[in-house]
Amino acid sequence: MKWGMVIDLQKCTGCGECAAACKLENNVSIVEPTEAAMGRSMLWMDMLTMYEGAYPRLRVRQIPRPCMHCDHPPCTKVCPVRATYKNEEGIVAQIYPQCIGCRYCMAACPYTVKSFNWYKPEWAPGIRKTVNPDVSTRQVGVVEKCTFCVHRLQKAKEQAKHEGRNLRENDFQPACADSCPAGAIAFGDLENESHRVNQLSHSPRATKLLEDLGTEPKVIYLKEVD
Amino acid sequence: MERAPAQPHPDYPLLRPIENPGRTFYYIVGVLLAILAYTGYVYVRQILFGLGVTGMAQPVTWGFYIINFVFFIGISHAGTLISAILRLSKAEWRRPITRMAEVITAIVLAIGGLHPIIDLGRPDRMLHLFYNGRLQSPLLWDVTSITAYFTASTIYLYIPMIPDIAILRDRGVKPRWLYEFLSWGWQGTERQHKVLDRAMNILMVVVIPIAVSVHTIISYIFAMTVQPGWHSTIFGPYFVVGAIFSGIAAILVLMIVFRKVFRLEGYLKHIHFNYLGILLLIMSLLWFYFTFSEYLTGYYGHEPNEMRVFWYKFTGAFAPYYWAMVTCNFLVPVILLGIRKFRTITGILFASISVIVGMWLERLIIVVPSLANPRLPYPTGIYIPSHTEWILFLGGVSVFILGYMLFARFFPVISIWEIEEGRHESAKMVNERITSYMPDPQPSSAQE
Amino acid sequence: MNQKWIYRLQIFSVSMVWVLFTGIAVWVFTLIRESLRLRDAPDASVGISIVAIPVFFTLAAVLTYVFIGLRKGRRKDVEP
Repeated sequence: MKWGMVIDLQKCTGCGECAAACKLENNVSIVEPTEAAMGRSMLWMDMLTMYEGAYPRLRVRQIPRPCMHCDHPPCTKVCPVRATYKNEEGIVAQIYPQCIGCRYCMAACPYTVKSFNWYKPEWAPGIRKTVNPDVSTRQVGVVEKCTFCVHRLQKAKEQAKHEGRNLRENDFQPACADSCPAGAIAFGDLENESHRVNQLSHSPRATKLLEDLGTEPKVIYLKEVD
Repeated sequence: MERAPAQPHPDYPLLRPIENPGRTFYYIVGVLLAILAYTGYVYVRQILFGLGVTGMAQPVTWGFYIINFVFFIGISHAGTLISAILRLSKAEWRRPITRMAEVITAIVLAIGGLHPIIDLGRPDRMLHLFYNGRLQSPLLWDVTSITAYFTASTIYLYIPMIPDIAILRDRGVKPRWLYEFLSWGWQGTERQHKVLDRAMNILMVVVIPIAVSVHTIISYIFAMTVQPGWHSTIFGPYFVVGAIFSGIAAILVLMIVFRKVFRLEGYLKHIHFNYLGILLLIMSLLWFYFTFSEYLTGYYGHEPNEMRVFWYKFTGAFAPYYWAMVTCNFLVPVILLGIRKFRTITGILFASISVIVGMWLERLIIVVPSLANPRLPYPTGIYIPSHTEWILFLGGVSVFILGYMLFARFFPVISIWEIEEGRHESAKMVNERITSYMPDPQPSSAQE
Repeated sequence: MNQKWIYRLQIFSVSMVWVLFTGIAVWVFTLIRESLRLRDAPDASVGISIVAIPVFFTLAAVLTYVFIGLRKGRRKDVEP
């Protein structure tokens, strides 16, 4: 079982719904504007903007970027306390109470996906009510990142066990895949041939970010056709 | 036990700072303690509020604390080079310098070793390193090697100090119990000298590979990632050379300061400065060779991510720091130390200060540009160190000065017994050695 | 402070060094065991750590050798 994601850039409109849904689902802290200007905003799912060419042949590409959940993660190699590790199902997990905040994993990640709690995360009173009870909130001084909504995986597994069956493809979808209005994000088991992600990963448009580094990311992008 | 009254001693200038410290000592200690109190307050604020009080952010998540960590540990190589290598090569001119160098190493390793802890987001969880440490992480290798180096250099500082502590004990210097305790019953008998010699011989050999490993492993923190500008095989030797370089500069500055303040012109002669100055010059050329090699290789390969970091350092936002580093580390030392007319004590002082500044800039240039230029299309990172980070930097330097002053208050900064040994025995030993180099006399049956 | 107390303090401090270094050795050994269990540390790290333990004990041994050697090398007329 190898959880992976396929993002179809032809369908993606760059609306940013995935980024917003991720923040709400995972109780990701919203930082002050001065902090965000410094570069401390915490986006587990980020929207990268790439500019190619020059006016009038300027092309703007929007690429949603979650954690790649690499099969050879450079971040787990360098963690001195095993606060980040890759589990048997291929998810690169983060153990918040274990993290000592050395930020070595942040420096080592070539995709720059990790966020850090520079201050104690706080929620304004209104937003406090929308906090997701399934996801633990983090404390100051620990690193966090996209987890492929592993709390939803937990719930789906328990439900399946309770009903005495195996996990089905659509039992478990991360918040970003769920919320995408264009249906650009597909999620599933890359090793299971019946899952859509497995089929899409063989598409001729399939590509990965920074593939030549040997990190073996499990987020596959389908290139735009012009 | 006999108690010698405070008689004049042939090396009284070395004992005067201990027996007659003077009021300036207390004023300076007072100022340093005030600075340290404020540093403590600033650090407590960081613990209470989080690392947000620093200037670090994504993508530049490492800043002053890691830069100073590498910087302080780099300076620790002063001790290894002077004490161990010069002792090993039996260079007689090392005698007034060894103690000062070893003290630098011990103090600076303690300060440097604390810096990763200051950098932690959760220092309260530091014990996780001991309960659940992961051997695969270069940070863990670092903890082990710095611990080994700190213990080795402290022992290597202490053992040659024993005869000097005995001198202080015998002169009745207060606090007497301290010197009694530390002198381990030293009386200068021949058997005791043999024991000391043997121990020092073992230690000076053991300490060199430990020291080389420490700075190599620190370089591995960067080199073991795949980030452009960091993932270079030259980092191990580069850092060791840089460390020895900054270490020699530090010991030179200290020698000049102590010579002035304690009036040690009789002990620290021009020749000592001359030799160390030439060593500093050689290290500057070596440093330049490594730097040139590193950047030429990167440029020639022209890999896009490497080039972004390259131009960021050469012509981009970091260009002023980069060229300042090259000036401080190469141009200034080569001119001041290479031209004999400029290799005076003042010239050497300027060159050494220039090298210390330049090596700090080198650490800055290694840490920040690679982080500021991530591979994916993010805006280039900007790092502006905050008040907290500047004060903690100042605090680190103050701890160094305070630690050194406290050492100089209680123990001689120049090894008295080694100077004595030099006076009485060096000439004979060196003579014997040189005679052994000379070719054998012709046998009488040689053919004409 | 008389001689006996100072002697006891010296013995105590040298034995503390051994305690500290044994603690470090136990810690490194724990690290090695954990990394073998998880099977994800490069063999070089394990090898180098195994070398690190004797280094600490060598240092402690040198210190103890100097302590004992200095006491034994004193002139006979001094009381212990």
